Amino acid sequence: MDISALLEEIKASPYVESDIAVPHCGVVRFNSKLKAGDKLSGPRGQWKELLGTLLADIERERCLKNIYAREKGELVSINYELAGKFVEAGAEIMHVRHFMSRNEVLQTLLRHSLFLFNAPEKAKYYFVPNIDVKVKNTGAQSVSVHDGMELFIISRMKRETTLRYTGPDGVIYAVYFDAEHHVAPGQPLIGVCPPAQLGQIEDVFMRVQTEWPED
Amino acid sequence: MDISENKVLIANRGEIAIRIVQACRKLGVGFVCVYTAEDARSGHVRLAEELGGSACLYRIASYHDANEILSVADTSGATAIHPGYGFFAEDYRFARRVTQRERGIIFIGPSWRVIRELGDKINTKRLARSLGVPTVPGSDRPIYAELEAEELARSLFDFQTQQGIKNPLVLVKASAGGGGMGIEEVHDLDLFRSVYRRVRNYAARQFKDEGVLIEQRIRDFNHLEVQILADRNARNIVHFGTRNCSIQSTGLQKRLEVAPGFDPASVVYNFDADRLLEDIIRHSLALARKVSYDNVGTWEWIVTREGQPYLMEVNTRIQVENGVSAAISRIKGREPSDGTDLIAEQIRTGLGDPLGYTQEDISFHSMGIEYRIIAENPDNGFAPWVGRIEKFSWNPAPWLHMHTHVPTDAPYDIPTEFDPNLALGIVWGKDIAEVKQRGLEFLESLRLEGSTAKGEPLQSNLAFLKKKTLDILKF
Repeated sequence: MDISALLEEIKASPYVESDIAVPHCGVVRFNSKLKAGDKLSGPRGQWKELLGTLLADIERERCLKNIYAREKGELVSINYELAGKFVEAGAEIMHVRHFMSRNEVLQTLLRHSLFLFNAPEKAKYYFVPNIDVKVKNTGAQSVSVHDGMELFIISRMKRETTLRYTGPDGVIYAVYFDAEHHVAPGQPLIGVCPPAQLGQIEDVFMRVQTEWPED
Repeated sequence: MDISENKVLIANRGEIAIRIVQACRKLGVGFVCVYTAEDARSGHVRLAEELGGSACLYRIASYHDANEILSVADTSGATAIHPGYGFFAEDYRFARRVTQRERGIIFIGPSWRVIRELGDKINTKRLARSLGVPTVPGSDRPIYAELEAEELARSLFDFQTQQGIKNPLVLVKASAGGGGMGIEEVHDLDLFRSVYRRVRNYAARQFKDEGVLIEQRIRDFNHLEVQILADRNARNIVHFGTRNCSIQSTGLQKRLEVAPGFDPASVVYNFDADRLLEDIIRHSLALARKVSYDNVGTWEWIVTREGQPYLMEVNTRIQVENGVSAAISRIKGREPSDGTDLIAEQIRTGLGDPLGYTQEDISFHSMGIEYRIIAENPDNGFAPWVGRIEKFSWNPAPWLHMHTHVPTDAPYDIPTEFDPNLALGIVWGKDIAEVKQRGLEFLESLRLEGSTAKGEPLQSNLAFLKKKTLDILKF
């Protein structure tokens, strides 16, 4: 992997544009202090306990849910015609863009460096119970995997089967799924770092730390 | 208020949502449908758009979000909610909330108190025992402690050994489960702990409740049901006969249902089958009267080869297989061509109409089979098949009802988020020979083709259904 070339590619286009969609249906209200072009702050603090800029709120059945900016960035546009109206789940209410964070760059590079074990089919995935306990207690990077190891439970339509890991031996360096969401076929479940590649991964960390500006 | 002034929000998807829309149309009642992103191409969305336009269709994030459902109900002006089956159908808290909120809405199902009383398998068992209705030996409350579970399993093994059962079996079930999910059997006490832990973990993942039931596994049985209907005053309670649901997957999920439950005219049983059917109907009605049952419901029974019935549970909702009972029953004074529509009856009585007939007005003709058409591999533990359906067609016939949400004129990607039923085919005939012959004719005419992203061909249970058609109603 040519990390320098990849980094240059990211530097040439360091912004990510995205739509803000409502998570569920309800009546939407925009933060009246915001307008297009305003700067947005993302979650901050050691545990991201400080919320980002309040963008809007949505109410259904007297339950109010605030919608916050998930990244530090800029508000590009607001769909004002939806203000005060009942909107369906998934309705796009705003368009934002943000400068890629150090972590995003790192994750992008890691996806190119690690061995990715992909989901064979659309389903929910869980670690098998003994691995799940280990991941929760000591973190994924404490789990060593080897070819043929029973690692996942695949759940489709509430029917469960196990899935064996196939690939190089190593440690789980990144986990790309959570138990609440379906994973599309071909999407990575975990990123595995073989021992021989540890140096390269450390190099990726170093490059991002030194070459990408602070968040 | 005339029932036609109502608007029913259908808090469900797929085939049952379609049937509820059709029943509402038949009754002249307005409707509103909801759907999630995964279901955008589902048949119920297309039908709702065709019949009611986009104004009667709302996209939501989840069929499990009560706040969203109620929010759509208010926005659309719905006066009633039909939960279908699954999701909120047997959730008494939801039913109570719907009816007791500031803007009260009718819940089309039994009253929340009845759901609370009977919706819980364990409470049903206790209630049944108090009426002398036979139930399966085992726990009458969910068990959360491993040692207690093991002790109960040990006593059930001992009990079966004392009964002279050569290979005793114990069933471990997720107490919050349903539809055959989260059930395993144990043949050796030494293996109990590992099975218990597996079911408990599965229950925690899928149902967010670790409670487990431990029961004697009764082998060599038939699974029967009694279909009950009552109106809101709970004084008029009738039955629509019995069904036999013994043909199931290895995971104990129904695949083929037959009405009536036995056919002593053509099959030899070790017991008086007519009398047994009368007994389970009588017990079911007694329990329904005891709790003032006030909508549709199904009493589920298992019957041993010797003819001993045990009540398993009561499903306080419309069942998937309601159509096969409707297909063989007639209500006096109604045109036979109209047939019986249990979903329409459920909506009509749920909205407050009196039943308008008695048991004497209901008669049973012919015999029916319902086939659940599913993309799965019966030779590999009924593993679900997921991919794109490219061709789906069958030959229409006057003795066939087909219910499906799968489009027949466009490709359809099977969503993995929901139960895997693709279609229900209901056939009927004057006797067992005719219904078998028609069933096979229907299955032969069915074309179900598709492939995965890798180009692997679609797998289905059609061959399994054909094979099992020959064995219906036999022990």
